[in-house]
Amino acid sequence: MSTQATSQLSEAVVREISEQREEPEWLLETRLSALEAVSDLDFPDVIRTPGRTWTNLDALDFEALVDPLNQAEEKDQTGPEDVEVLSFEEAVGGHEAFVREHFGSVVDPEENRLTALSTALFTTGTVVHVPENVNAEDVTIRTTMNSRSLFNYTLVVTEKNASVTILERQSTGADLEGERYYSGVVEIVGGENAFTQYGSLQDLSQDTYNYTKKHGDAGRYSTVNFIEGNLGSRLTKTTVGTDLDGNGSETKIVGAFFGHDDQHFDLDSRVYHNDENTTADLVTRGVIDDEARSVYEGTQNVGREAWNTSSYQRENTLMLSDESEADASPKLIINNHDTEASHSATVGQIDQEDLLYMTTRGIPESLATDMLVKGFFVPVLEEIEVEELREDLETRIAERLAR
Amino acid sequence: MSSEELQDTDTEARFEFKKEQNSAFQTEKGLTEETVRLISEDKDEPEWMLQRRLRALEHFQEMPMPDWPAGPDLSEVDVGEIVPYIRPDIEVRGGVDDWEDLPENIKDTFDKLGIPEAEKNALSGVGAQYESEIVYQNMKEQWEDKGVIFCDMDKAVQEHEEIVKEHFMTRCVPPSDNKFAALHGAIWSGGSFVYVPENTTVEMPVQAYFRMNSEGMGQFEHTLIIAEENSEVHYIEGCSAPKYSHFNLHSGGVEVFVGEDAHVQYSTVQNWSRSTYNLNTKRAICEAGGTMEWVSGSMGSKVTMLYPSTILKGRGATDNHITIAFAGEGQNIDTGAKVYHNAPNTKSTIESKSISKDSGRTNYRGLVHIADGAENSSTSVECDALMFDNDSTSDTMPYMEINESKVDVAHEATVGKIGDEDVFYLQSRGLDDDDAKQMIVAGFIEPITEELPIEYAVELNRLIELEMEGSLG
Repeated sequence: MSTQATSQLSEAVVREISEQREEPEWLLETRLSALEAVSDLDFPDVIRTPGRTWTNLDALDFEALVDPLNQAEEKDQTGPEDVEVLSFEEAVGGHEAFVREHFGSVVDPEENRLTALSTALFTTGTVVHVPENVNAEDVTIRTTMNSRSLFNYTLVVTEKNASVTILERQSTGADLEGERYYSGVVEIVGGENAFTQYGSLQDLSQDTYNYTKKHGDAGRYSTVNFIEGNLGSRLTKTTVGTDLDGNGSETKIVGAFFGHDDQHFDLDSRVYHNDENTTADLVTRGVIDDEARSVYEGTQNVGREAWNTSSYQRENTLMLSDESEADASPKLIINNHDTEASHSATVGQIDQEDLLYMTTRGIPESLATDMLVKGFFVPVLEEIEVEELREDLETRIAERLAR
Repeated sequence: MSSEELQDTDTEARFEFKKEQNSAFQTEKGLTEETVRLISEDKDEPEWMLQRRLRALEHFQEMPMPDWPAGPDLSEVDVGEIVPYIRPDIEVRGGVDDWEDLPENIKDTFDKLGIPEAEKNALSGVGAQYESEIVYQNMKEQWEDKGVIFCDMDKAVQEHEEIVKEHFMTRCVPPSDNKFAALHGAIWSGGSFVYVPENTTVEMPVQAYFRMNSEGMGQFEHTLIIAEENSEVHYIEGCSAPKYSHFNLHSGGVEVFVGEDAHVQYSTVQNWSRSTYNLNTKRAICEAGGTMEWVSGSMGSKVTMLYPSTILKGRGATDNHITIAFAGEGQNIDTGAKVYHNAPNTKSTIESKSISKDSGRTNYRGLVHIADGAENSSTSVECDALMFDNDSTSDTMPYMEINESKVDVAHEATVGKIGDEDVFYLQSRGLDDDDAKQMIVAGFIEPITEELPIEYAVELNRLIELEMEGSLG
């Protein structure tokens, strides 16, 4: 760790963050404990094969990018009346017991070096609480990062028989010279028979390093779905997962990414089937162009007690350029034989016959290629049940193609 | 031995029988520089081979144990507890060419395993290894006349020194590849050398059979196959050992050089006892237009870690992998395939079937790498797993690294249980539960058995019947 980092990452800094927010003692302790753990913990898991590390996180000096006391952002969080959508500070002030009960219950703050760093230093956050039997309209959270580094925290609790869709967008505001670091932790607690859909569109500037950890716990008959759109950032390492803890619980993780220039996306989806009659569906599609690189890892873990499991995974990558690179590793770990599981992954280029067909009908090649790329995304876009997010993604894909 | 006796379905009678240990020379337990020197001296090897062994030993001492995510537990494997070298007590080094010339206990062993019978009917040549050295080696004259060489590896070091020196653990499997390749390089003994000259097709397969008899020994045979331009050969390897309370270690090394437009098939029916750790390194380098085929059936062993790999070096080279893994009680079969596409227009297919039951664990672990510039390459990987019960585990862990855009890469995997409906259907037509399940398993692996020569398909089916017995009663 560099000396600069040491001065930024001190107990005093963490105390100052916590005091400014008049946080209770337990939260300060959690932050301090995370801070202490940072240097002992490993970076998040990345795939290593003989002679290669798919994403070299160790080479990044995350700490040097961290400027904890000058975090700035614009946050816009809105939701319908019957749902509580609070800033983290408000939530801790007004509902301390509630926050304390759930904070860190789904994502261990000390899971790895970057979650610990995030827990020690986060200054902004959102708490969404959907009470029992409430069928809520869309909740939207927009975070615009205006500083060198930003640590964000989101907690969603969907009570029994409630349902909610949350849309989160991350982007970069004020222009700053040099590299930046964004880190976000999202915890979702899905109550009995509740439905939670969490969609996010990451569109950070291309000098931003991005680490995101999102995880949901699905209780009995609960559904927790994630939609992951990744377009921005220089390097993204994201882990999205669900623990299917309750009988009959379900999850769907839908991902779309489009990398260009020298962007690097390391996208990791995980589902853990821990109880009977659970269902998971993982669908990701991505395009890489220029010198971009994508790393996809998808793990379907079926536990010993997960009788009658259904688990599916599909991943497809389209390579538009010879300088791009696509790595994929879909994994099945099956400990219960009463399981129907499958996964598939493909990597390929634009189908030359399709292209020929279109060009012979008078469509210029570049337009034909754009149309085929848009067409490639259709199967995931169709999986996105949130119209607003789907349209946003479509627009951004079209913009990127037009460039 | 009659073919009826070979149908005997008692595993112990067929594969796990034990013979008195009877050696002409053996090393002490454990691995030191002195052991390595002793082995080399006992074989009267040239100096360069001794130097290679010593270099491999250094690698072994420096390298860490394999550390794969969710990899098998190798903590029991203490090389210090292994007797690395046992030279069987026979008169002729390098193998006799008449089974009658072998000592009775060794002859009886191979009779029981059905090797002489198979040689008569279906093979061009046979090598048989007992403990650390080849005891029988024979090839039909017609092949010798064409310049085909099939001899034991120790003899090849002496008689074909230049070609061995060029190819032995140099660019195909260097000892630095992994810890057990290094171990192999230090104390290898026995194995086969196959050389097929240009434009020669060896029509019937050649087979080598490897037998470990002594408790606590390690077998480290080396197989080197060189198929020159436009030649063709099929090499079959079989292996077994009696079961002991103490572990045995098998760490073979296989290197295959597939020349331009040549075709090599390497088939293995592995039936080591449930006390054997089977940690092999097998690799082929395939030149332009060449084809490498790996067919592996892993039935035996306590732990197997085996990922036959092919480097598609020349334009238009092809690789096919077919693997079956069957893990029963106490077995951990961690197997798969590795393919490196390093040239344009290369093609690979990997087909894997695994079955786990009675707390057995199978894992498909595979790597496909497509290098920048290997345009118009395609690969297809299919893994299917069948699970019998809830104590078993089935994992699938493929890795795909694609550095070239003009490619076609597809991976697919499924895992399922034996369908109750299928069993019910068969039962309703008068089969009992066991037979129904056996039939379903036979159907499950059929796409693979049909790729094997009929004798081996039959052998594989019989081994699977053996595996299925008892536990299903």
